[in-house]
Amino acid sequence: MTEQQPSPAAGPEAVGSGVPRSAVPASAVPASAVPGSAAPESEPDPRFTLANERTFLAWSRTALALVAAGLGIVQLLPPFKGVPLGRHVVGVPLIILGAVLAIAAYWEMTRNQLALRQGAPLPRSVLPRLLAGTIAGVAAIAAVVVLLSASR
Amino acid sequence: MTTSLPPRADEPVVTDPANRTRLAWTRTSLAFAAIGAAMLKTSPVAGGAVLVLSVPIWAVARRFGRDLDVRARPAELRLVTIIVVLVAIAALVVALTGHSQGGVGRLLHES
Repeated sequence: MTEQQPSPAAGPEAVGSGVPRSAVPASAVPASAVPGSAAPESEPDPRFTLANERTFLAWSRTALALVAAGLGIVQLLPPFKGVPLGRHVVGVPLIILGAVLAIAAYWEMTRNQLALRQGAPLPRSVLPRLLAGTIAGVAAIAAVVVLLSASR
Repeated sequence: MTTSLPPRADEPVVTDPANRTRLAWTRTSLAFAAIGAAMLKTSPVAGGAVLVLSVPIWAVARRFGRDLDVRARPAELRLVTIIVVLVAIAALVVALTGHSQGGVGRLLHES
């Protein structure tokens, strides 16, 4: 995918910080925003760094919630009648997705921070698609397990 | 283009985002503690370990925002990632070897 999100050089409103453009110190504007200049790395606006960190923490909490949900399904749900490992088939992928999501969130945070340093457009996040795809897959598996259990 | 007005005296520049980020760290540490407490019921050892792992996250939350020189802190963020992966591994072990009714551990034990 080559889709790009708005460049942080477009101002804080472009990335949803909600702080007026006028509050950005001149030193925070990336050098690459100046026409004819090279793109050296520089420390980005602190608000962008903080927003990137909060996004990472939100994804980490989502990962933790997936782990908790998977463990809860395996340990707390009553067994599916006629499907001996039904709970594991549904719960274990959620736990694995939690671990993968945590690693992917860290990778994406470092990638975004590099883009901020270079004043480049933020790359499109893969995490929503990863999360949506896996949850849809697990939901389909859960539906099959429930139908199998009901038919026996 | 690169010109910008200086912030007004009543205009929050970094303090509010820093506070929001500190609250995000606090929520994250609470999430770790909550899952640790929940795991205590089924696996006291794993649950206790996760509870202990929530302490460094809470320490980061407490330490955060003491100065306004905000830079990326990959070490702290890497710590969060490592702890989440460790929690996931612990959960996987509990899920696969736990002796819940109809679980893999019980099936292996009975065979």
